[in-house]
Amino acid sequence: MFSKRTWTLVSLLLIVVLALSACAKPTAAPTAAPATEAPVVVTTEAPKEITFGLLLVGPYNDHGWSEAHFNAGLYVEEKLPGTKMIYLDKVNPADRPGTTPAQLADELVGQGATVILFNSDDMKDSATEFAAANPTINVIMASGDQQWAEGKDFKNLPNMVNVMGEMEYGKMMAGCAAALTTKTGQIGYLGPLINDETRRLVSSAYLGAKYCWTTYLGKPAEELKFKVTWIGFWFNIPGFTSDPTQVADDFFNSNYDVVISGIDTTEAIVQANKMKLAGKEVWAIPYDYEGACDEAPDICLGVPYFNWGPSYLGYVTAAMNGEYKPLFEWVGPDWTNINNPDTSMIGFKEGDALSAEAKANVDKFIAELAGGLQLFAGPMNLQDGTVYLKDGEKATDLQIWYLPQLLEGMEGKSLP
Amino acid sequence: MKTMTKTSSLWINTGFRIAAIVLALAFTSIVLLLSNARPFEAFANIINGSIGSSKGIANTLVAWVPLLLVTSGLLMTYATGMWNIGIEGQITLGAIFTTLALRLMQGTSVPPTLAIILSILAGILGGALWAGIVALLKIYGGVNEIFGGLGMNFVSTALTIWLIFGPWKRPGTGSMSGTEPFDTSLWLPQLEGLRISLWSVGIGIVGLLVVYFILQGTYFGLKLKAVGKNGRAAFLLGVPTTRYIMAAFLICGAFAGIAGAIQVTGVYHRLIPSISSGYGYLGMMVAMLVNFQALWAGVVALFFAALNIGSIQLPIVMKIDSTLSGVLQGALVLFFLLMEGARRTFLSKKRGK
Amino acid sequence: MKVEIKNIHKHFGKVHANNDISMTIQPGTIQGILGENGAGKSTLMKILSGFYQADKGEIRLDGKLTRIKSPADAIKHGVGMLHQDPLDFPPMPVIDNLIIGQSGGLLPNRKVVRKQFEDLQARFNFKIDPDAYVDSLTVGERQQLEILRLLWLGAKVLILDEPTTGISASQKEMLFATLKILASQGMSVIFVSHKLDEVEQLCNQVAVFRQGKNVGQAMPPYRTPQLVQLMFGKSMELAPRIDSTSCDVLVHMKDLAVENYRLHISGINLDICKGEVIGLAGMEGSGQRLFLQACTGLRRTVGGKLYIGQRDFTGKPYHQFLNSQVSYVPASRLEEGLISGLSLTEHFILAGEQQGFIINRDKALKLTESRIKDFSIRGIPETRVESLSGGNQQRALLALLRSPLQLLLLEHPTRGLDIESSMWIWNMLKERCKTGTAIIFTSSDLDEVLHYSDRILVFFGGKVSNPLNAGSTTVDSLGQLIGGKGWEN
Repeated sequence: MFSKRTWTLVSLLLIVVLALSACAKPTAAPTAAPATEAPVVVTTEAPKEITFGLLLVGPYNDHGWSEAHFNAGLYVEEKLPGTKMIYLDKVNPADRPGTTPAQLADELVGQGATVILFNSDDMKDSATEFAAANPTINVIMASGDQQWAEGKDFKNLPNMVNVMGEMEYGKMMAGCAAALTTKTGQIGYLGPLINDETRRLVSSAYLGAKYCWTTYLGKPAEELKFKVTWIGFWFNIPGFTSDPTQVADDFFNSNYDVVISGIDTTEAIVQANKMKLAGKEVWAIPYDYEGACDEAPDICLGVPYFNWGPSYLGYVTAAMNGEYKPLFEWVGPDWTNINNPDTSMIGFKEGDALSAEAKANVDKFIAELAGGLQLFAGPMNLQDGTVYLKDGEKATDLQIWYLPQLLEGMEGKSLP
Repeated sequence: MKTMTKTSSLWINTGFRIAAIVLALAFTSIVLLLSNARPFEAFANIINGSIGSSKGIANTLVAWVPLLLVTSGLLMTYATGMWNIGIEGQITLGAIFTTLALRLMQGTSVPPTLAIILSILAGILGGALWAGIVALLKIYGGVNEIFGGLGMNFVSTALTIWLIFGPWKRPGTGSMSGTEPFDTSLWLPQLEGLRISLWSVGIGIVGLLVVYFILQGTYFGLKLKAVGKNGRAAFLLGVPTTRYIMAAFLICGAFAGIAGAIQVTGVYHRLIPSISSGYGYLGMMVAMLVNFQALWAGVVALFFAALNIGSIQLPIVMKIDSTLSGVLQGALVLFFLLMEGARRTFLSKKRGK
Repeated sequence: MKVEIKNIHKHFGKVHANNDISMTIQPGTIQGILGENGAGKSTLMKILSGFYQADKGEIRLDGKLTRIKSPADAIKHGVGMLHQDPLDFPPMPVIDNLIIGQSGGLLPNRKVVRKQFEDLQARFNFKIDPDAYVDSLTVGERQQLEILRLLWLGAKVLILDEPTTGISASQKEMLFATLKILASQGMSVIFVSHKLDEVEQLCNQVAVFRQGKNVGQAMPPYRTPQLVQLMFGKSMELAPRIDSTSCDVLVHMKDLAVENYRLHISGINLDICKGEVIGLAGMEGSGQRLFLQACTGLRRTVGGKLYIGQRDFTGKPYHQFLNSQVSYVPASRLEEGLISGLSLTEHFILAGEQQGFIINRDKALKLTESRIKDFSIRGIPETRVESLSGGNQQRALLALLRSPLQLLLLEHPTRGLDIESSMWIWNMLKERCKTGTAIIFTSSDLDEVLHYSDRILVFFGGKVSNPLNAGSTTVDSLGQLIGGKGWEN
């Protein structure tokens, strides 16, 4: 009995081991294909119809980042006959445990998609893996930098486009509106987690605020207080992040009368509204979504938002016509009309709470930006006092994208 | 006479099981109808998505392996009558230890194969350690293993997130997408073009066989069962009860640790925030569904894995939420438990006649 | 029909299953055959009904020497046997079932058979629907049908081997009434059972078998103790009480103290001899269980010393007691003693010595089978313990005990058991005493305490009496002590 059982087990083990050693070939690492001059991925026979698939990190109706992408998809469907959108939302390990974005992209391809859009930085590794494994699929990765030849993470994938909006401008406008409104001269910034993107966005808000404070109000820069508090993530995770409600309240209770939100959820505007109802004179500026002010128009100074539709329309059209090219795009506003839904990637919708006087100045500021005003210009120091830009030097895209610290004059942590 | 009752009770049991499946499907269908979707189309999509293509089958197996390992481990703790709800944390700790080991060995002269093996062993250590704490709390602190386990789950989640956003954060940034992926040499070798690694499938199957063998054929397994069915009597018969409870937890934790290790080396190739992917809770459902018999664990776990993978089709094709698979899984367990109760009542009434 | 059995012998290998058995059964009597399992009852019945051939001896039916070669042969000679387990009945009508069992090649005449069946029913007051399907009948009705079938085939001697197993009390009443009618009409009935009360209730005379021999006959009115004595033989004669003043001391207690949240008992001084039986008497909860558990390490003593076989066991854990041949049998069999859901075999594996890592099932099965036989457990190795009767559970508990033992501690070893089971259990326990095992037991049955103990400790309100000599103690004086009277100070 003993020996029989033992032998059964041993032979089973042997079979498994043999089977494994026979079958398992290490998969080729997804190495990047050699760079070629403007490789055309899709054949010249352009299909009349095309299906594009969206992978959204959050719910398609989150009134934020993901909804902006979803609406862009609808925009493409509407503007370009013959296109069909399929999508999968809540693509994150918490909502879809056990899956990877690349695997989910496979599912979309299985349903006929030939263009796949990854909409979050969190999907970056998966997007790279998927693009390498599926060279015939056109991949769009929003907010990535794999296709930026000068960037730190260049992967050179012949079938991938990176696209990001220059929200820096939106944040500058937000900062300006805040500086023109604050009575106490103290602006709070509700920051998410600390990375390249969030550092440059919060710094942009500061630069916009400082410019309007000194130029339009004529007040000395030292009298403007600008503080960022990082909660730790894009939204509240009890027990892990700081509670954004608490952080917003702390700002309002310690004399910061304008709070700019850098997170995906609406705590800043909600708390400002409560304070207002309790008789405090405070304001807030939400983020991401065009309609964000509607929740509390009385205290909303405006909202900087993304409008991905025109860019996506371009890529999908290119794919349809067989002209898809790898690309890195960092797209700014359409300065002729930053709120034009057909042309402008970045918009700023002014809120009801913005005073007429301030509104005039914000518009003036926008006009100056459109005219070529560059706020990332020297002399400028980093938070620790080291020189970031020398006098007369203007920051390159690389310097802005990979901003290593907050800027001098800002309060808050530069590094996680 | 004896054979007659045996076969008839077998038929009765089968009948009740089938009834449970039918009821679960009916219940899910009603849910679907309420959300204006055609049930048959939904079920067809699930089947097609899970086993309709080689990629689908591979993805189903990717989900199957950790689920199978976790279920196998849980069969050990269930045998002792313990509810090891801390299994999620044990998977997570397995993943953390595996990641730690790989981080230490990545870029050193350690051969990749050895590094992978060592990292899986580290995962075993991590899972067992976490389970051991729950067992210690239970045995010496009198803390119910359910509460202890839940607490340890919370700690493991916090620990993961702290590591990902803290000491192990990616250069310059912390991201919900996890730590920096490992070099491909440290991945479990996968089949060409598919996500599944035959190594992990092999580990999963061997794991189940080992548990089956332990529970069916060894003194150790029998003593575990004795502890579970009547701890006092087992103690009086000479089984050192606490030691066996501890052993069951350690083994279960080890299995969870392997599952976590495979999640890291075979699936995500890094540590991500919810690395356990809910397989722990799903494994508890599988174990309940198979009535704690190892024999059926493989099949039912495969079914659950297929449901998970196949249901991804639902939001894509039919715009309905893929949590439907969760509804179906939950309904199956509930109706099985319900039918089990009904079957007992039925049999006792029959006997009463 | 008169049945005479003379000097029957039957061997199975080395086992002498029937050893020179003789008896005579007159027509119209119900002959009881009483004995433990394995006493040879069934063997003799199988010889009578042609399943076995006797090695030696003769059978006379109505005075005529008869060789019964097969069961079919037996029924031809008028001997029919109703089996212990009802046979597997095919799903067919009663009447067809009857016809199928008929010997001879003639085409059955259904009408005639039906008529005969109805007549037989009327004669014995049976009410079975001839068109009912057999598998719709109750076990009791099937028994009646089988009896009818045997009668219809011409049986004049009916053998029933443990016929009351698995039937309800009302069905038993019905069966007994039937058997009495049969006897009154001149049939001979042989009723085999190990249950005293049934035999006493039913039989005109009783033969008691033990170890293959017919050890005695009895006629009504029966005296239970006499039957018991016959059944269990000389082993039930208690050995002379042990003289505790000059013996091999096994257990030495010095100023032992135990306590729980309610009671504190101290100053227990006692020496227990090898092979001695100490009975613990007292109201429930007076500290007997406390004391018993202290003697096996399940409860820490709070003072004094405990030595077993020269070794100091004070404060040692249960496992050390167990490994030093000290065993404890708790009162609640299914709560503490046995493990519901596990089979007898699994219990024997658990209780036995672990050999290696992998269970040798074949060996375990053999061991279980032999224990089941030795301890007369009604069950098969696969039987789950919770489906055993109380008596069989207690037997199983005793069968699980290791051998040899130094000290055996029992709580209420015979509570809820019938008299035969109690006797049997004490028989086994006393056998252990002969090998030197000392026993401490609690019981609320004063007769039991007085009868089986060598010395007695009485517990009352946290106090323990000096050891009383069981031989010189009466139920009265014991009762007084238990009730709190007669204690010094």
